[in-house]
Amino acid sequence: MDLHRKWKIVRVVLTTFYLMAGWVLFTAALDPLMLGLGLILSFFVSLLTFKLFIEKNEVDFHSLLPRIHYGVFYLLLVIYKMYVASFKMLWLIIRGRINPRVVHFRTRLKSDIARVALTSSITLTPGTVTLSLDDDHLIVHWLDAKTTHSRYAGELVKGVFERLLKRIWI
Amino acid sequence: MTWIVLLFLVLGVVFNIMGNLGVLVFPDVYTRLQASSTCGTTAVFSVFIASMLITGLSVMTAKILVITLFFLVSSPVAAHIVARYAWNKDMVVWRKFHD
Amino acid sequence: MIDTALLIVIYIFLGTTIVSMIRIVIGPSAVDRMIGLNLVSAQVLAIFVLIAVKDKLPVYLDVALVYDIFGFVGLMAITKYFADKDKEDFTGV
Repeated sequence: MDLHRKWKIVRVVLTTFYLMAGWVLFTAALDPLMLGLGLILSFFVSLLTFKLFIEKNEVDFHSLLPRIHYGVFYLLLVIYKMYVASFKMLWLIIRGRINPRVVHFRTRLKSDIARVALTSSITLTPGTVTLSLDDDHLIVHWLDAKTTHSRYAGELVKGVFERLLKRIWI
Repeated sequence: MTWIVLLFLVLGVVFNIMGNLGVLVFPDVYTRLQASSTCGTTAVFSVFIASMLITGLSVMTAKILVITLFFLVSSPVAAHIVARYAWNKDMVVWRKFHD
Repeated sequence: MIDTALLIVIYIFLGTTIVSMIRIVIGPSAVDRMIGLNLVSAQVLAIFVLIAVKDKLPVYLDVALVYDIFGFVGLMAITKYFADKDKEDFTGV
């Protein structure tokens, strides 16, 4: 049994596990019949879709199983920052004086899923929307911009998120 | 407990109304997108938290939790898709003229 | 008391959904209409969850999840269609 086939089996088993968790949560039935039906169905679906779910050249262990305790802390931080940003946005809408700019900066994160998480959290927080993500180059539209200097703006926009995401996914 | 639920409901209503006002008032595509993504997401999220506090510990709470997590993933990605389309179409960014 | 508050919040969300449809009607470009569509979809999702909590009907929650997924996929399809159409116009086909 060569390496490719072993890696395929691991991918199918992991996809079946994730799909089974979703099945149990949504049927909320613990009979043996329903569990067996869910296992068979999620096995067939995972045979069809495991190539999309986990990439062939995904080598990093932490991108399959992220560190959950840092993840919960990160979620709480994003929710707190989201509320603060919404109150700032409320003040901007009432006052009506905005100063929008476009800033460019780079990120140091390596894996793809960490970059996508960074993009989503930048879109949720203070008056910034990610316009384009090209490898490690981010273009961000910033309402009420303080500066246009690249490194300083990057520190202001993504500072805490990047340091925490490096611990979750590398 | 009742007062916390009412607080979250009031927060949701206020953010929702202000987000709609921002979408109507702002001068540019990107600024409208900012108002829609930030205030709209926070309003719907507050309503979900209030619903989870009302239902307590039951199956409905787990389902609302799944909906909330999926909404937290899908809403910024949808905003990013719209913004990327506008940026690739070379739409001009509105700027205030200084002095 | 909470039932009354939920009813009031449902009616306010219905009203703001109609207000945000103004942006869909008058939006100068297609991107404005997409923003309005995204906002309407999020508010209708919130109304679904509120009705499910108020009447204690868990079926509405499944409907809400499927509605959320299909709103996301539909927005992606609209964006891809417009991008392809712009490329065709640009090359002069």
